[in-house]
Parts: sequence; structure tokens; C-alpha cells
Amino acid sequence: MLIQGRQSISHFWLKVFLTLLCSCVAGIGFVSGSAKAAEDGEFSIIASVQNQTLVSGSTSRAPLEGVAIKVTKVDGTLIGEAITGADGLGKVPVPSRDDYVIEIDISTLPDGLVLIDATKQKVFINQDLFTTNNKRVTFFTGQGAEAGASTIERILQRLSDGIRLGLIIAMCAVGLSLVFGTTGLTNFAHGEMVTFGGMIAFFLNVTLEIPILISGPVVIVLGGLFGLAFNWAIFARLNKRGIGLISQLVVTVGLSIMLRNIYLFKFGGRTKQLSSYSKQVNLELGPIGITPRDLTTAILGIIILVSIALFLQRSRLGKAIRAVSDNVQLASATGIDTRKVIKIVWFAGGALAATGGIFRGLDEQVSFSMGSDLIFLMFAAITLGGLGSAFGALIGGIFIGIFVEMSSLYFPSELKAAPALFILIVVLIVRPQGILGKSQRVG
Amino acid sequence: MDWNQIIQNTIRACVGVDAIYFAVAALGLNIQFGYTGLVNFGQAAFMACGSYGLGMTAQYFGIGLWWGIPIGILFVIILALIVGVPTLRLRADYLAIVTIATAEIVRLFVRSVKLRNIFGGTEGISNFSREYRELNPFEPGKTYGFAPFQFSGYTLITVLVGWTLVAIFSFLVWQLMRSPWGRVIKGIREDEDAVRSLGKNVYAYKMQSLVIGGIIGMFAGMILALDRGSVQPDNYSRDVTFYILTALVLGGLAKVAGSVVGAMLFWVIFVFSDNVLRELTRNGPLRFGDFTVIQSTQVGAVNYMFVGLGLMLLMTYRPQGLFGNRTEMALDGR
Repeated sequence: MLIQGRQSISHFWLKVFLTLLCSCVAGIGFVSGSAKAAEDGEFSIIASVQNQTLVSGSTSRAPLEGVAIKVTKVDGTLIGEAITGADGLGKVPVPSRDDYVIEIDISTLPDGLVLIDATKQKVFINQDLFTTNNKRVTFFTGQGAEAGASTIERILQRLSDGIRLGLIIAMCAVGLSLVFGTTGLTNFAHGEMVTFGGMIAFFLNVTLEIPILISGPVVIVLGGLFGLAFNWAIFARLNKRGIGLISQLVVTVGLSIMLRNIYLFKFGGRTKQLSSYSKQVNLELGPIGITPRDLTTAILGIIILVSIALFLQRSRLGKAIRAVSDNVQLASATGIDTRKVIKIVWFAGGALAATGGIFRGLDEQVSFSMGSDLIFLMFAAITLGGLGSAFGALIGGIFIGIFVEMSSLYFPSELKAAPALFILIVVLIVRPQGILGKSQRVG
Repeated sequence: MDWNQIIQNTIRACVGVDAIYFAVAALGLNIQFGYTGLVNFGQAAFMACGSYGLGMTAQYFGIGLWWGIPIGILFVIILALIVGVPTLRLRADYLAIVTIATAEIVRLFVRSVKLRNIFGGTEGISNFSREYRELNPFEPGKTYGFAPFQFSGYTLITVLVGWTLVAIFSFLVWQLMRSPWGRVIKGIREDEDAVRSLGKNVYAYKMQSLVIGGIIGMFAGMILALDRGSVQPDNYSRDVTFYILTALVLGGLAKVAGSVVGAMLFWVIFVFSDNVLRELTRNGPLRFGDFTVIQSTQVGAVNYMFVGLGLMLLMTYRPQGLFGNRTEMALDGR
């Protein structure tokens, strides 16, 4: 036993390394090394703020005065600030041709005006974009899209957004919940499995230019293998060494930090867009505006979740998974190969997380922290649904998604996550086992 | 490569302000995680309580700087109640989830545009530390000490105050853990039910541990804020908690010296790795043939990658860290 342990240690190192390598290799294509020497001359960034109004069918633009602009370096160091003048321009001198972030302070916009593209509050300027010594960035504002819409329309729009977010959360959270149910592990690195899906999808779709319809299934399979690698290289071994679950939880934290920084290393700190279906026009379905892409992902999401539910409910393997999740000893005593089931759960969890990553990447954009930004909503979802319950994760995920989006009707959108915490705390006080959890002592 | 500079920076790192606030935060986290077995992943939020307590005296209340301490303690108690009341009766991982989530929400709140007049938004708060600066007997611009331990007068005061606080809290934690209270706390970590059957109110003890650890963490936030002269919301992100946790595990859980030495060692390793990588990439990316190994913008990511890897390996192969006792680290929530 002891000798076996020694051997597995050296193998462990090798395998940790190999796993790392595998996860890196896929991303190597992202690196683009170009460091231009700073050129002489005065550089500045000019922000232009223009307000668009729709006058009898045609757009007219007028400069906006008194809007605060801030220029920072990519790491957050402040370079300079400016307030736009009567011509709508604000000029910030910058020391060199470099990468900068220009941020518009939306709280200084006149009442009722919003940025037309809310994601453009911060604009990233690559050094290559300085074609002359002055780089001009234009921000367009307009009447809030929602200001004109009626309350019921706004609610329906939020509901549709919420369902889409909820489907993604549910998809990602099922794996998290099943892993918890079968192994007792609270996996803080699950968000990184989601990011893995987004990263690989970006690599295949943008760098290798494979359409997402073809690359998607590849990503999903790779995601599953990634999940399996988690178990094989790390957690199965930790279990064998008899390392406690709380220590394993701390290991997942380390894993999460490490993977996130590998993504940051390879992908950079910017958010980037997948190339397939990136430019689409909203379909107007009654009061709801939705792009065909988002409609498709939503429908696919529903199909996937329903198949998971049917699989767990009807199939032999699904029943075995639920049995192990329910009570490992009892399941093992009835002849279920629990280790095989655990492997399958890791594979399925990884594959679903990767799917969530693709959908999220299509929906929003791909970034190194896209998964870790979601992990907290996933935890809220599985706590609400009942830790360890797959159906709970599905229901909880959709509920959290809708609740979070709906709450942004009344809450500033930057505090979107706060209502989810509120749910988390209320659930833990009122019904700590969650909606579908077994009513047993969890303390 | 300028080895002399690198080695000086590295040695200075083990007594610098970063090591100090990590040591104080780790002492607090040690009470919760090391001695009581509470998985607090939100120590950064407790630190934020302290620094925003200080910052808000100038920004919002317009009162003296020293009011920041009672305000900070009040924040800590509120925060501990929010995370503790629902979770302390439940299994350990619930606390982990709720603390990490709460810490993130606290950060989102203090950086939000809507609450800018209270917390200063993304820019944070500065111009609150005048009273502290006036107490500084050293000249801010002058350099004191001998190589490699050279600090400007501006930093030196915080270094001295900081190490005094480290000494006070180390002594306090050491005494506390020798007291009957400390024995109950350690008992809870080992076997909660046994302690309960002795008639102790486990829930109350856990809450006390959370608050005391949080208050010590609060002082870590204050040291950071006073040294930087500003309060920045992004100094309290969830990863900060994890780095402190790594330092704590490195030194050894449930040992007073572990928190302090762990924090010093963490920064020594970190600063060394950071300096070497920055030197390597200073004149353009480091390449092997056509393969770009690393470029200067990636140095931060690589450093933190090592932190994560280090935490994993420590938990797997040496959970007791440098000073800890392996039997005390057999944490298991079930």
C-alpha cells in the first residue's frame, strides 16, 4: 500500500504536468507577441460623446457637454481625466503609444440618456489603433431603450433575458451539483470548466475559423475530457490519499486560481467575440427583441436540459447516477460501480459546463473570467435546488437566472448578483436542504 | 539581470507593508479557519470593513479618522451576522459558499456608481489619512534604514505601526488559544458534537470566532489603506482572500508563528518570482526560437498561476505547512 502510494506520487506529478500541458496546448494559438517601440511625438486620446435622436425617421447627432471621461492603463493606473466641452470632445494626453482603457462615467450623462451600447462603457484601445498621434473614440448616447417601452414590455424582455441566462446557469450547475452529490466535493473550479468551453470554442471558431456548428461538438467532448482529467489527475488521487473534503475544497480553490491565470496568460485580459453569428439583427417577437442566435441557443438549451432530465429519470445509467448521488454506500451495496459513475459524472459535468461556455460566449463574449463570474450564481442555484440534486440544479438555475434579470428592473445592473445572494441566505435560513433536497440534518 | 536589486527587493519584501497586512489578515483567518475550522473565504470583505470604515470617516461622515475603528468593528459585526446566522449551523461548505459570495457582493456594492457618494465608486476614497500622516515623526521624502531594509519616511511609519500590531495580535491569539475559550474553539474543530454534548453553545462560539477573526482582518485592511493613502475596491477581490489563505497554509494552520512567517515567505517568493520574470521580459518577450515563452504583460498571470499551483500542492503534500501539526490539519467537514 505504501509502495503503491509512493509510485502514484511520481505519477501524479507527471500527470498534473500533462494535464496542464493539454490545457495549455489548445490555447497556444492565442499568443500574439507584438511589442512596438514607443515612437516620438505627443499622443492623446480624444473622446467624443454624441447624442443620437431619431427625428422623423432619420438619426441626428448632437455633441454632449459635461460628460466625464477617464483614461487608464490596462492594469488600472489612472492616466488622465477630461470633461467634454461644447463640441462634445474631451482630450486626454497620454505618455506613449500603448494599450489604454477609456471609460465614460455614465453617472455624468444628462438624465434619461444612456449609452446606446451599454457594453461600450469601457473601450479598450490597442496600441496598434493609434494610426495618428491622436486616437478618437466616440461614444453614442440616446434615449434609454427601455425608457420608451411600457412596463409590461420591459418585464417580458427581462423575462426572456432571464430565461436565457437561467438555461446557461442550469446547464453549468448540473455538473457541479452531481459532482457534489456523488463525491461530496464542493468544486470552486467548476467555473473554470465553463471558461474552458468558451476558450476552446474561441480557438476553434476564431483562430482556426471553424464554424461553431462543427466546432461546438468538439468543444463539448473536449470539455468532458477536461472534467474527466480533473478527476483522474487530482480528485481521485486525493481521495485515495484520504485527504478530507474541506482540504479538497481548498485544492479546488487553488486549481481555480491556477486555471484562471493560465487563461489570462494565454488569452489576455480582454473580452473577445466569437466570429460565428456575431452580428445579428433583433427579431421582434411581439414586445420581445431577440436575435435568431439567442433564440436558437435558448431552444437548444431547453432541448439539452430536457434530455438530461429524461436521461436521469428514465435510463439505467441515469438512475444509477441518482442512486450514487443519494447514498454512495447504499448504491455501492446494490452493485453499482460507484467509481465508474463518478467518472461519468465528471465527464458529463465537464461537457455540460463547456456547452454552457459556448452558449455564454455566443450570448455575451469570451473572457478569461467568464466562468468564475458565473460560479456564484451556480452555487446560488444548486443551494436553492438542493445540493446534490440534479433536478434541483435545473430548476434552481432557471429560477436564479430569471430572478437576477428581473431584479435589474429595480436594481442597478452592476449589482445584479446581489439578489442571488439574498436568495441564497433566505434559503439557508428557511430551508437549508433546498427545494428538492432531502429533509435531513445538514449541520 | 540585476541580481543585486532583485535580492534586495526580495529581502525587503519580507518586512514590507504587503507582508504585514497579509500577516495580520492571516492571524484573523487562522482563528476562523485554523483553530475553529470555519471555512471563511471572505476575509477580503472583513478587510474592506476596516479600510472603508476609515475612508468613510472623511468621505461620508466628516468626522475624525479614529472613529474609523468603531465604525469598522460595527461593519465587521454586521457582516459576520449576515454570513454567520444562516450558515454556522450547517455543514462547513455552506459557509465557504456564502462568505465568498458575500465578499464579492460587498465589493460590488462599494464600487457601484449609485453609491458613489458613500463609498467613492471605482476610484475609491483618498484624502482621509491626514491625521495619521501628521503623527508621522519621520520626513516623508527622506529614506531611512540601511540596505536592503530601506524605507521612505512615508512608508516607515506604517511598517513600524504594522509590526507592532502584528506583535500585539500574535500575543493575543496565542493567549486566546491557551485560554478555556481557545480550548473550546479547538474542540469544535475536532468534534462539534462532543463539545455540544458538554453543554457548550457551539453556535455562539463559532460566531465569536468569526467576529474576532474578522476584527483582526479589519486591522489588516486599515494598514493597507493607511499605507496606500487610499481605499480601492479592487484591493478586496476574492482572490486576495485566497492569497492570504495560501500564505496561511504555507506557514502552517493553527500556529501563531505560521501566520506571520507564512505571510513573509509568501511575499519573499512572490516578489522574487515577479522581479526575475520582469527582468527577463524587460527587453521584449522571452523567446526560444520562434516560440514566445512569456512577455511582460503576462508576468502577473504567471505569478498568480504559481500561487494557485502552490496552494494545491501544499494542501496535497504538506497540509501542515512549515510549523503546523499534521493531526491538527485533518480537516473534514463530514
